[in-house]
Amino acid sequence: MRRILSNPMAFGGFIIIAVIMLLALAAPLITPFDPEAIDVKSILLPPSSTHWMGTDGLGRDVFSRMLYGARVSLMVGIVAVGIATLIGIVLGSISGYYRGWVDVFIMRVVDVMLSIPTFFLILAVIAFLTPSIWNIMIVIGLTSWMGVTRLVRAEFLSLRNREFVMASEALGARDGRLIFKHLLPNSLTPIIVSSVLGVASAVLVESGLSFLGLGVQAPQSSWGNILTDGKEYIEFAWWLSLFPGLAILITVLGYNLLGEGLRDALDPRSSN
Amino acid sequence: MPFNRLFYLAIFSLLAGCGEPQQSANVDYEQVYPAVTGGNMINAMTGEPSGLIPMIAGESAASAIASNIFNSLLKYDKNLELEGELADSWTIAADHRTITFKLKPDMKWADGKPLTSADVLFTWQLVTDENTRTPYGSDYKLVIKAETPDALTFRVSYQEPYAPALDTWAGLQILPKHLLEGQDINTTTFARNPVGSHYYKLEQWRNGERISLVRNPLATQGEARIERLVSRFIPDAASQFLELMADNIDTMNLNPIQYARIFPSRPDLTQKIGLYKELGNSYTYLGFNLKRKPFNDVRVRQAINYAINKQELIDGVLLGLGEPVSSPYKPGTRWTNPELQPYSYDAQKAIALLKEAGYADHDGDGILDKDGKPLTFEMLTNQNKQREMSAVLIQRRLKEIGIDARIRVLEWASFIGRFIKTGEFDAVVLGWSLSLDPDQYSIWHSSQQAPGQFNFIGYSNPQVDRLLEQGRLELDIEKRTKIYHEFARLLQEDSPIVYLYAGYGLPAIHKRIKGIDDPAPPAGIGHNSHEWYIPQPLRRLEISAQ
Repeated sequence: MRRILSNPMAFGGFIIIAVIMLLALAAPLITPFDPEAIDVKSILLPPSSTHWMGTDGLGRDVFSRMLYGARVSLMVGIVAVGIATLIGIVLGSISGYYRGWVDVFIMRVVDVMLSIPTFFLILAVIAFLTPSIWNIMIVIGLTSWMGVTRLVRAEFLSLRNREFVMASEALGARDGRLIFKHLLPNSLTPIIVSSVLGVASAVLVESGLSFLGLGVQAPQSSWGNILTDGKEYIEFAWWLSLFPGLAILITVLGYNLLGEGLRDALDPRSSN
Repeated sequence: MPFNRLFYLAIFSLLAGCGEPQQSANVDYEQVYPAVTGGNMINAMTGEPSGLIPMIAGESAASAIASNIFNSLLKYDKNLELEGELADSWTIAADHRTITFKLKPDMKWADGKPLTSADVLFTWQLVTDENTRTPYGSDYKLVIKAETPDALTFRVSYQEPYAPALDTWAGLQILPKHLLEGQDINTTTFARNPVGSHYYKLEQWRNGERISLVRNPLATQGEARIERLVSRFIPDAASQFLELMADNIDTMNLNPIQYARIFPSRPDLTQKIGLYKELGNSYTYLGFNLKRKPFNDVRVRQAINYAINKQELIDGVLLGLGEPVSSPYKPGTRWTNPELQPYSYDAQKAIALLKEAGYADHDGDGILDKDGKPLTFEMLTNQNKQREMSAVLIQRRLKEIGIDARIRVLEWASFIGRFIKTGEFDAVVLGWSLSLDPDQYSIWHSSQQAPGQFNFIGYSNPQVDRLLEQGRLELDIEKRTKIYHEFARLLQEDSPIVYLYAGYGLPAIHKRIKGIDDPAPPAGIGHNSHEWYIPQPLRRLEISAQ
């Protein structure tokens, strides 16, 4: 932890993410407006002391919608990556530990999945399912586990031949003990780093889907669909495009900084 | 004024492409100018036509341009009443099965050849030919006999009286027989090089860039005043707006935000661009799947109709630039029943009706229920900003009276293919066009419910069926009006759809163009565009190296 905090990149990323999470969690305390409350008398008002980020095409307060939208973006990111990481660890462990035809089979599945452009696969799947926040999390999770799988497998392959693993195998340790006691704990660092970076791309994918109308459905807000609403008025109501755009940028930047920083901080080979 | 003539000529011969427009200094747009001929009007269209034979091309870009090149037998006047265009007059036989058109004498095609009844007959043969790939043939196939007793007479006979017939003859643009005979209409080069009889003829077609039309001195309806109509292809509405602001195009249709928010805050724009309002040509509605519960109960449909605040929709979605409708016809025209009023916004009445239908909040979750089932449904709509916003406003109002409506926005092709054609939906937010002929058989008759047909909401009312059948047979305009007034009344009572609004068309036209009828008559701002003119001092000074 000390190492993480002393790494300026990781620290910056951590602060950004922490602040956004706090804002999202405390949304009802911060804003007096209901994010879904329509007011046709105050359509497209520019930012002011009442509406900090202005109002949208139906007179809804953009700031409240941004805060509640943050919950969606963060939740989608974390849950989707959770699913992907879980799948990745299970498949990667099996592949790297048992090797042989299981390994070959799993790696070919990974190759097939990697050869399909993920975003279009997600688009196609969502078009068949009802778009909803749960479906999006599941679909993103189910289509982004390949990186983690390869990572875990590679770690396992190299750890398998280390002395301490061979020693404990020679002492009669079973598969389960070897995997959970020795191999997995020693592969955690790259998994954590890739998960944090994965959250960033999941946030982007969710915003992209919502922007295309295939994400979170009205009246619920997400940064992506606030941005779509703003597209129509871009030459006039800049606040509808600027704020959600900035929010996505900063969040993704935050996760990326945290991920890169963690990699540096946790790398035993680094000079720190 | 020989000098002026020369001056125009010099300008026009120089004009060819996208030269930088130079605003003449301090021109006075408000001054009164006498009508003159000449000048160029530039508009923008989102798509490029595939060809200029309207019965083959089908898309709106093609018909917009072709309507300046070709004439029909009949046309709608400024009040949307039928009058002759190529036809001087028409008579309907006593048995209501035969219509005889008398053509105007001495009409010519733009190439100087005479236009006669043979051309009309030829066009009818084309549109009904099995080999012609046109979606518009069915109306004309009802004609069992078409003949030309002389060069100025065209007569058609129907199996039984068909009241929409006259409307169909206002929609068929007549093509020249002498240029198309023996050619394959589907592939002919005539589509890229048309010769017509209307105010304008094709001057130049630059692929992917523009089509320019030039005044036809032999026009059958007299000469237009503006020398040249240029249509530029600009796919993106936002770019069109930038071009309008930059004075590179003269006309475009605005959206409510541009009209009501951007323009008022830009005196530099209002000084040179005029804003107009015209009746829109479509209405937006909330339609119920009448075969499903709870919408098979008329009280539920009426309750939802009372629960929706139409004025709020118009204010919120259209920024006030639209009006409520209570029949599927353009407000203020003959076919609109003046006695009908939209359902008022009345939440109490809605709740009372739902109570009568057996709905109450028995489990206290805020949603009404009946027999243990909550009153909930899904509203589908396509990716259309105004429809999405309408759905959100409706959702909120329905929640207030205890109905849980979910919204699902779909891409158009899957919306139609997977939900509309299969009947797999609860409710939809969609639009219908406000047609000029009152015949609504294909939308409301109970026989039109097969997959792919238009009565996909499953509306079936024997009284309405009978009226729709009578309306098709009745050629007497007064009697026909009565039939459709009654039809609209029954429809309103049954409430199979909730009429939400009809948005206005919002044309913006540069103030250099004069002679515009304002306020626009029912037929729209463009009804007299042949009388529009551009005073010489207001013209664009375009110089281009091309």
